[in-house]
Amino acid sequence: MIKLIIRRFLGMIPMLFLISIVVFGLAKAMPGDSFTGEIDPNNTNPEYIEEMRQKTGYYDPVYVQYGRWIKDFVQGDFGKSTRYKIPVSELIIQKIPNTLFLALVSLVITYILAFAMGMYAGRKPYTLGDNLIAVFNYAGLAIPSFVAGVFAIYFFAFGLNWFPFAGSVDIEISKGTPAYWLSKIHHVFLPAVVLGIFATAQYTQFLRNDLIENSRRDFVRTARAKGTPMSRIYNVHILRNSIIPLITFLGFDIASLLGGAIIIEKIFTYPGIGLLFLDSVGNRDIPTMMAITMMLSFLVLFGNLLADILYGVVDPRIRLG
Amino acid sequence: MKKKSMFWVLSMLLVLSLFLAACSKDNADTGTKDEGKTDDTEATDDGKPEKGGTLVYGIDTEPEGKFNFAFYDIATDAQILEFIDESLFTYDENLEIQPNLASWETENSQHYTFTFKEGVKWHNGEELTVNDWVFALETIADKDYTGSRFTNVDTIEGAKDYRAGKADSISGLEVVSDYEIKVTFDKPRVNNLLNIWSYPLPEKAFEGIAVADMAESEVVRSKPVGVGPFKVENIVPGESYELIRNDDYWNGEVNLDKIIVRVIDNTSTVGALQNGDIDLIEVQPVSAPEVEKLDNVDIVTAPGLSYYYVGFKLGKFDNDKLEIVEEKEKYQDKNLRKAMMHAINRQEWIDAFFFGYGEPVNKPVPSAHWISADDSDLNEYPYDVEKAKELLDEAGYVDTNDDGFREDPNGEEFVVHFAHYATGNPTFEARSQAIAQYWEEVGLKAEVDMTEVTLYYDMIEKDDPSIETFFGGWSTGSDPDPSGLWKSDVLWNYPRYNNPESDALLEKALDIDEVGTDNDKRKEVYVEWQKLINEDLPMLFIAELEEIDGVSKKVGGFERNVAGKNNAAEWYKKSDK
Repeated sequence: MIKLIIRRFLGMIPMLFLISIVVFGLAKAMPGDSFTGEIDPNNTNPEYIEEMRQKTGYYDPVYVQYGRWIKDFVQGDFGKSTRYKIPVSELIIQKIPNTLFLALVSLVITYILAFAMGMYAGRKPYTLGDNLIAVFNYAGLAIPSFVAGVFAIYFFAFGLNWFPFAGSVDIEISKGTPAYWLSKIHHVFLPAVVLGIFATAQYTQFLRNDLIENSRRDFVRTARAKGTPMSRIYNVHILRNSIIPLITFLGFDIASLLGGAIIIEKIFTYPGIGLLFLDSVGNRDIPTMMAITMMLSFLVLFGNLLADILYGVVDPRIRLG
Repeated sequence: MKKKSMFWVLSMLLVLSLFLAACSKDNADTGTKDEGKTDDTEATDDGKPEKGGTLVYGIDTEPEGKFNFAFYDIATDAQILEFIDESLFTYDENLEIQPNLASWETENSQHYTFTFKEGVKWHNGEELTVNDWVFALETIADKDYTGSRFTNVDTIEGAKDYRAGKADSISGLEVVSDYEIKVTFDKPRVNNLLNIWSYPLPEKAFEGIAVADMAESEVVRSKPVGVGPFKVENIVPGESYELIRNDDYWNGEVNLDKIIVRVIDNTSTVGALQNGDIDLIEVQPVSAPEVEKLDNVDIVTAPGLSYYYVGFKLGKFDNDKLEIVEEKEKYQDKNLRKAMMHAINRQEWIDAFFFGYGEPVNKPVPSAHWISADDSDLNEYPYDVEKAKELLDEAGYVDTNDDGFREDPNGEEFVVHFAHYATGNPTFEARSQAIAQYWEEVGLKAEVDMTEVTLYYDMIEKDDPSIETFFGGWSTGSDPDPSGLWKSDVLWNYPRYNNPESDALLEKALDIDEVGTDNDKRKEVYVEWQKLINEDLPMLFIAELEEIDGVSKKVGGFERNVAGKNNAAEWYKKSDK
């Protein structure tokens, strides 16, 4: 097992190296730099733009620029944001707690909803309740999150006034108090639900189908013949088997949550990595964009690795293989 | 277009999911919204100011967090900065400069004496003195300074030497006392005063911070220090900003206890105003009709200082020689350009795409500006299809092969290639198609070419052969001098308009021997220049836009004129509504 993990980790290095070339190449191939487009004749002039381009090494050969970037990157220096004029690492550290919090809450909500709905639907397939859940899920799968987000704001924030429509916390509450955390949860709830809808639908349907399939297995018949109560059969015997494939989703979820957060954070003006990423692309803040792309790529690889490891943990057959 | 599709492929690879979220973003309108707007002061005032209360101010773009005038770049940062810091001068409703923290005297427009108000306190308790201003000027002139403001300092005598490291101080600055300073410029100019950097920098607060590190420092980022009516209490980066009343404010008492600045997505503007989540926000034209319908919100408009145009590439610019080296033939015929102008129904276009929050404009100077020529002195180019056709016939653009479109005087096919920038905004394609449609109606074949905005201005700047006619926008500041956009030796003269007469007029308007300090004389020259441009039409002037604010009925004391919003110290919250 340990060997597998180490082997996989080492395998990630050339992969990351290739990704870095692609990311850098794409960033370079994007037309313009951080000084194009934003001309304001009132407070800048062509000489200044030219001077800054010289200073930032815009005219160096590409391989020199790549070498410089990757050397600093490996040493943990992600460069300085051309827009915010502070180190990218500082920016990311500033924003990442929000995104992680959003992802975590979203995951918790997803699990709670998916287990509740999936268990019910799985135990009582083809009933009215099951069909309603199915309708809900397919709607969740079909409605893009940016549409769901806007509607959620319209109904729950502006219509019913249950949740705030933007932001991550009420600025007037002093930091660290219980009210502060409540305010954070209050703010994160709506975006987290919208972010989790897609995953919830997936999980629910998956769990339902797996429960139905497993309930026809021999060990269920045996358990019933022994007189084990139905609830125990479902909650222990079947569920445990059905959770296995679900656990592997967790790895992939890490990537999809952070990716989905890009849109959700924009709509809810929730200041996290996603919003930062989106703005960095829009503003040609290349160092920030490259650093976040690298980070997301790494997380995808890491998520896959995690999925494999978890598989090994829950299903010994895979570990042996 | 090849480059364009290339961009799309690349950016799609990088961020597949971006566009949709970016749809709501209209960031492509060049230029900026800086200070400025009109004399159409619709006050929301209908009672006595009350004390106390919190006002929530909305902004629809995340600030970059550079809360110092010497370092900020984007208009959103400036919106917050206006609450916390002030300039030495201010501008009245005709955009004429007035004393604020300092007054000045000069006899020859080269040697100035500035007198500062006594007893003005920085937020950190220090008193404002001329040394803070010297500190600001020397910081900006420092070779390590990272911002873009040196152009506001380099006219001071000795500033260039200081930057080159040849001097330890700027020789043109002579401190007389804590409240008096003599400034010498390198030569007399009519706009020396308008051009000079007018924001002092708190010397004590920046003590021990190297110039290169200032933009990153706490004093700029999280604990800004200014002299304005509000001071920063608390910041949640990229999300909200809590500003509290400055009790030591020098210019009267501040009414509000607090201003909370909230970043919101512009899809939420209407809902947030309706719900009372925000009290005040600058509204985009597209949301304005919705906001108008709200019972609890007033719309306050004021003509802005920016204009849209359709430019023609008339030549090619050499950036090393700084001159226009080559003439492009295609649009040289003035009658062709005039016909294209007459063909456009500008009012209809503005109503359709800016919901009426704009006016047709006939010159490259917004009407609100004091140098603006009266429309009666200019050709107004009304929408007139017959006139356009007539002009085209006269110029020899006739349909010789009966394909429904006109050929050029040599009998060759004539196609107008019209370039417009593209972002996620879906109205851009529609509005450029609309203009092409107008041209087709008078028989000119027109094709629209949408170019990704990041590439667009680069191509225009480099006179890319594929750009022939192009859509653009500029905004002007309080300094009326249009030289930076119109002289034949500047890069940003995008149409490459090369007319010695125009250059001569622009120089004359700045020549102290010609116009002295007399604004009327200066205006005369500019009016003459506007007549010339209006007649030559190197670009088709389309529209000037209005600045629009959505103001809750609970807010009193808010005004906007040509120079911007009024002092936030005068705003108040009504408790009875």
